Amino acid sequence: MKFGNLVIAGIVTGSIYAMFAVCVAVWYRVSNILNLAVGDFAMVGALSVDNLYRVKGLPLPVAIITTLVVVAAFAYLYDQVVLRLAQDGKRPIEGIVVTFFFTFALSFFIDGVAKMLFGSDVHAAPALWNGTSLTLGSLNFTRAGILVLACAVIIGGAFWLYIRFTLGGKALEASGENSVGARIVGIDTRQYRRLIFIATAVIAAVFGIVESPITGYTYLSGATISLTGFIAAAYGGFRKPGRALLAGLFIGVLEALLGGYVSTQYGDTVMYAILAALILAWPRGLGFESAVSG
Amino acid sequence: MNAVTGGGAESPEGGPPGNAALAVDGLSVAYGNVVAVHDATFTVTEGDACAITGPNGNGKSSILMGVTGMVRRRGEVTIFGAPAKNGDVRWAARHGLTLVPERRQLYPDLSAADNIILGCYTWTKSIGKARRSDSYGRAVDLFPELKPHLKQAAGTLSGGQQQMVAIARGLAANPKILAVDEPCLGLAEVIAKRVYDVLAQIHAAGTTLIVVEEAPRRALTLCNRRVEVRNGMAANSSPRSTA
Repeated sequence: MKFGNLVIAGIVTGSIYAMFAVCVAVWYRVSNILNLAVGDFAMVGALSVDNLYRVKGLPLPVAIITTLVVVAAFAYLYDQVVLRLAQDGKRPIEGIVVTFFFTFALSFFIDGVAKMLFGSDVHAAPALWNGTSLTLGSLNFTRAGILVLACAVIIGGAFWLYIRFTLGGKALEASGENSVGARIVGIDTRQYRRLIFIATAVIAAVFGIVESPITGYTYLSGATISLTGFIAAAYGGFRKPGRALLAGLFIGVLEALLGGYVSTQYGDTVMYAILAALILAWPRGLGFESAVSG
Repeated sequence: MNAVTGGGAESPEGGPPGNAALAVDGLSVAYGNVVAVHDATFTVTEGDACAITGPNGNGKSSILMGVTGMVRRRGEVTIFGAPAKNGDVRWAARHGLTLVPERRQLYPDLSAADNIILGCYTWTKSIGKARRSDSYGRAVDLFPELKPHLKQAAGTLSGGQQQMVAIARGLAANPKILAVDEPCLGLAEVIAKRVYDVLAQIHAAGTTLIVVEEAPRRALTLCNRRVEVRNGMAANSSPRSTA
């Protein structure tokens, strides 16, 4: 049952990629900015909980809540200070600078602060659900993996319900589709930009906390996570969270299978080659065209 | 309450017929260094159907954008006696003035029904309240031809259907004044006539109408007042006369 176990492992990592991809895609829809710092919020979540719990000796729930509050407050400040000046001022900055550079800079900034605060060793938040793997026949489910999947299903499901069944969710979609049309019916598109930025930062931190026991994080881990989420989001033209989710799962499973059957060392290389080939073969179907044309 | 504009939203204070629904005094709108509207002054009386006419590029749309708060303006705008907040679309909508913009500005991937129901966002955030509201029901009922297409993505509708969705979205906001910008742009004559029939119905039901129209002849089939815009200046004209 090597195949089955690889698929399970792939779905676990894939669900993480999927969540980061959804975070990137949803915020891009609202703000037209690609959040390259989303992985760094995950890294901060994991390392900060580890630091507060293991080094500072705070109880685990306090460490987690403190971390999430700090992440939310930081995201709020970033929106208020940087994004407000960049986008809402008298001369809003547009185009590639605002699309990429602001969050790219944010990513470096967070990495630097994290290195100062948490050092450069590999750490992880403590496992929230201890014990051996659960087995079903010959299939193994790690407890951390189950926790990750559960978080993905709960957060993803809540988000889907919000979009599908509330006026606020439809307003969120509307502000992504046509910001002028959204303002006409009184939708505050800036408020959605802020709300989603904070929400995705907190969600990323949550995933960092539940996932880090599996892989371990350093202050540089954020970039890799962002990159994979970013690639998965690209498969949905950056604007389609549903497709981004599927792409994330696909990449996770592909990565696990390549690691298991081809080579652990070169699995990533082969994977990126396959992803690049898919884009070249089928750009329109994968939404890359819409990513370019807006 | 009349057939079209009645509904659940809280109503602003409305005066008796004959009162000014909208008063604009010294309105100027500029985009950077380009002045689109300069010192426009006019009033629209409650129950009027007012046409804003003039050649393209003379600032007709910018007047509506400034009045509804879509762009920042200088000058005074009063809606049913209350001085309007600058740059606040929601305030204007909540006080009874709703814009149906030029080129419709729909949300192409959302369904026609979702597009219309978002008009209710000006007065509620509850989707249940919005669905059950009179303003939403009446907006949908006004366009029987849209019924089979309500679940279709708005971007896949024909131009005429999209215009109807845009007007219905405006009505869902439960306006006392509906400002419609170039409703027939790019539409076939027969569809344009249908759009004007609907606007006449809305007006007959008691809603004050403001229609921006490049073609004064069409506008004046419906409107009893006219504001003529030349070079970004606007002036009130007497009913059905040309300035």
